[in-house]
Amino acid sequence: MCRAVALAADEVSAQTWARWSNWLAARRHDRGGEAEYRFDAWDRCPKLPILRDGHLTLARWGNLRGQSRHLPRTAWTWLRTVEQGSWRHLDPLEVVIPATLAFERGVWYRVRQGIRGLLVPDERGWAVCYMICQPSSHYYYVMTRSAHMPVLIGETI
Amino acid sequence: MARRRGIGHLDADCFYVSAERVRDRFLVGKAVGVLGNQGACVIAKSYEMKAAGVRTGQPIWEARRLCPWGVYLKRDFRWYEVLSRRMLEVTRRWSAKVEYYSIDEFFFEVEWNDAETTVDDPATWAREWGRRLRDAIWEEVGVPVTVGIAPSRTLAKLLSDTAKPFGVAAAFAEAELEKVLARTAITEVSGIAGRRARRLAPWGVETCWDFVQLNRATVRRLLTCRGEALWWELRGQPVEPLQPRRPPHRAISRGGSLGAGGDDSAYLHGWLVRNLERLIEELEFHEVRAGRLTLWLGFRDGRWGQRTHVPIAPTDRFDWLLEGTAPLLEAILKAHPRGWANRMHLIAEELEPRGVVQLGLFDPPQVRARAETIADLKRRVNQRHGRFALRSGATLALGRELYHDPAHQYDICDVRGKFCF
Repeated sequence: MCRAVALAADEVSAQTWARWSNWLAARRHDRGGEAEYRFDAWDRCPKLPILRDGHLTLARWGNLRGQSRHLPRTAWTWLRTVEQGSWRHLDPLEVVIPATLAFERGVWYRVRQGIRGLLVPDERGWAVCYMICQPSSHYYYVMTRSAHMPVLIGETI
Repeated sequence: MARRRGIGHLDADCFYVSAERVRDRFLVGKAVGVLGNQGACVIAKSYEMKAAGVRTGQPIWEARRLCPWGVYLKRDFRWYEVLSRRMLEVTRRWSAKVEYYSIDEFFFEVEWNDAETTVDDPATWAREWGRRLRDAIWEEVGVPVTVGIAPSRTLAKLLSDTAKPFGVAAAFAEAELEKVLARTAITEVSGIAGRRARRLAPWGVETCWDFVQLNRATVRRLLTCRGEALWWELRGQPVEPLQPRRPPHRAISRGGSLGAGGDDSAYLHGWLVRNLERLIEELEFHEVRAGRLTLWLGFRDGRWGQRTHVPIAPTDRFDWLLEGTAPLLEAILKAHPRGWANRMHLIAEELEPRGVVQLGLFDPPQVRARAETIADLKRRVNQRHGRFALRSGATLALGRELYHDPAHQYDICDVRGKFCF
């Protein structure tokens, strides 16, 4: 499963920075002289960047630590289950996870537009985002040795 | 006024990576690796990734260990060709004679009058000329290139190799050339590697300078006429002419890796049909017909099999060629029981121009007319709707993925007109 994503710092607006500066500052990294923020599913407090109503904000990434008793204890969901309507009872909202890079099994690869995500509320009304996945293409499997790949927007690996 | 000539070599710096950077500025300054057809090997890397110790051809599982911060990309040969042709276009504006050697390398003629240079030092003039060409490509295409200019193509290539990245080098005077030859290992010369270098070793040949000091007859005896040609070239005597047009092919092949591979005959038949469709596309483009067709199949355990089919008359017809090659596949699979095939090549030889072939006695006109109608329909549909939009149903066995992703539909060998990869 795609473990982390990175977002170039210059894609984070001043408004988003003002709201999440503490969280983001701790996750700032440098790659080739440019700053980026990394969002890791294994983070103590995992978050994902999402585009909601055209604005960039952060949402909790899945439910790996079991913060919610009602939501599935994972950070990813299958495209198939989304299409089958298995999340319908939670009134889900499909969102874009803007990312410049994604990380899987030691490999950082370029994401051109973003990744599809599913936003659902937990029992307290907090927004929780699950990354939508599908079985890996042969290329992706060879590249990362992972059997699952995120559903990228407008591109295939 | 005497006209003087030199030969230039233009080589794009880490071309695939530079091409990706043209359309994606995010990648500039980062360690970037472009992965090959299967996603397993790094086929091009940026200088930043090279500095981390990653080599071309290295598997990704080694590369990610050496350069964990590197960014890996899937290759897109269609895009690389677009930029390669733009570079070629710019170079053709600068030189009347350009050889499209490979997707990222061209040789070209440089001509000047004595009046344009100080006679003793044409290299200064050539360096300035090369700098302007390099800058024109950078400004118009966005790809950094290195240019080498010398009396022969082999020397020009050596010079451009030493001036990388984004450099220009020119040398004409003997003393200058001697310096270049003395610091370049003989194995750096394209055409002298492994076996040839071992033959030269007992003669104390380590550098290009050692090589040119050998007697001509000795070089010919050791390395045949090919080695002698390189010897002349390194001495500044051009013997390998520039070829602005590629000479006709003696053989055309299509194929390569089968991805995950397999042992299922329907799956392998699907690959045979795919490669045959690609081969016929190429035969039609070059307006030739195949007089001999060889199928080569490689297996994961290192074994391989090869069979040849000779049609009764040279042909580019799908039905005939498939009828001839399908039994070859069966025969190879029978000879290699339980073999897991992972590579396939289909090679057409004894090529004959279209229109001068004898019609077959056992080819009824109605069958021929039907085959030609189907081929024509396929060609027209694919021209209008894209490559492989209409293809044989046998390729369905390859699964949706291969045809779903446009990046799989264009390979480096589909870039026409160049001499090598």
